[in-house]
Amino acid sequence: MRKAEYKVAGGKLIRVQLVKKETMIEKVKITGDFFLHPEELIEDLEEALVGQAINVSNLDEFIGAFIKRRGATLLGASPEDFAKCIIMAAENE
Amino acid sequence: MTEKWRLLDTGLNDAFSNMALDEAIVMARSKNLVPNTLRFFRWNPSAVSIGYFQGMEEEVDIRACDERGVDYVRRRTGGGAVYHDRDGELTYSLIVNKDHRLISDDFQKTYETLCSGLVLGLRRMEIHAEFKVINDIIVDGKKISGNAQTRGLNVVHQHGTILREVNPALMFTLLKVPNEKIRDKMIKAVEERVTSVNGYLKRNVTFEELKAALLHGFEEAFNIELVPGETLDSEQQSSVRLQMEKYATKEWNFKR
Repeated sequence: MRKAEYKVAGGKLIRVQLVKKETMIEKVKITGDFFLHPEELIEDLEEALVGQAINVSNLDEFIGAFIKRRGATLLGASPEDFAKCIIMAAENE
Repeated sequence: MTEKWRLLDTGLNDAFSNMALDEAIVMARSKNLVPNTLRFFRWNPSAVSIGYFQGMEEEVDIRACDERGVDYVRRRTGGGAVYHDRDGELTYSLIVNKDHRLISDDFQKTYETLCSGLVLGLRRMEIHAEFKVINDIIVDGKKISGNAQTRGLNVVHQHGTILREVNPALMFTLLKVPNEKIRDKMIKAVEERVTSVNGYLKRNVTFEELKAALLHGFEEAFNIELVPGETLDSEQQSSVRLQMEKYATKEWNFKR
């Protein structure tokens, strides 16, 4: 399990726990003190991320599109912040 | 005629029933069984609540809480971990129909509108409070109130805390710190960045005085009349059920 913490400018903290398979996400958990509405979507997002390639632009775009498609609101963090924290976790042994 | 909202003061309760009653009121509001509601409450025993997206074990020192008889519970709202001291903190909830004039589709805007009641209430006590994006109220640059909002069932639910006293050393005994070396640093940072009603006014403000000021702040800011009321039997029943089936369960509290 790889872990990372990322402090968003303005204060919120994102934590990621990641299992990767080569260059892809096998399992991911995103925790922190941000706001996502509706809340239950976080679990759907984590499931949807399985199999995604671990690079910032892909993850940023994927998470952004997921949030838009599901009519969700992310407050205190951006899709790019989530993506960056996943990359940081992937780079941690 | 001034619009009337219900005012509840549910006093001291444990963390699980406190969180359950909030959701029970949301359910009752969504069925139009009750009017828009402002609720004041406190925590006995003292408790830690964590945001919906936080990991319980990442944020909370479970052993330290157990040793001191401090409850820990996951909220239905996002945001950060909060230590709710029995005697140091007042908590409020607002449960408002989503179609109400005060509610915007924009979460940020709604935070600011709903927090304006607290800001005016604190100002009535000569505490020069102001709203700070995203979800805080500050005075002289120091945080005095944190707030969290969610919506569902066509109802907006915002709850938050007003610090009457603050004890950063106890806070970081109950909350996890990355390592022991920086515990003192974190305590110091909270001392510098957080204030309280008593600390700011340099006198002992009772909960009654604080609640009275805040409720008038809400009435003025929202242009409403707060009418003291009771919880319905059906709200109590839903609350007991939600407590047993959700907020007091390991599945919910440790789900992340």
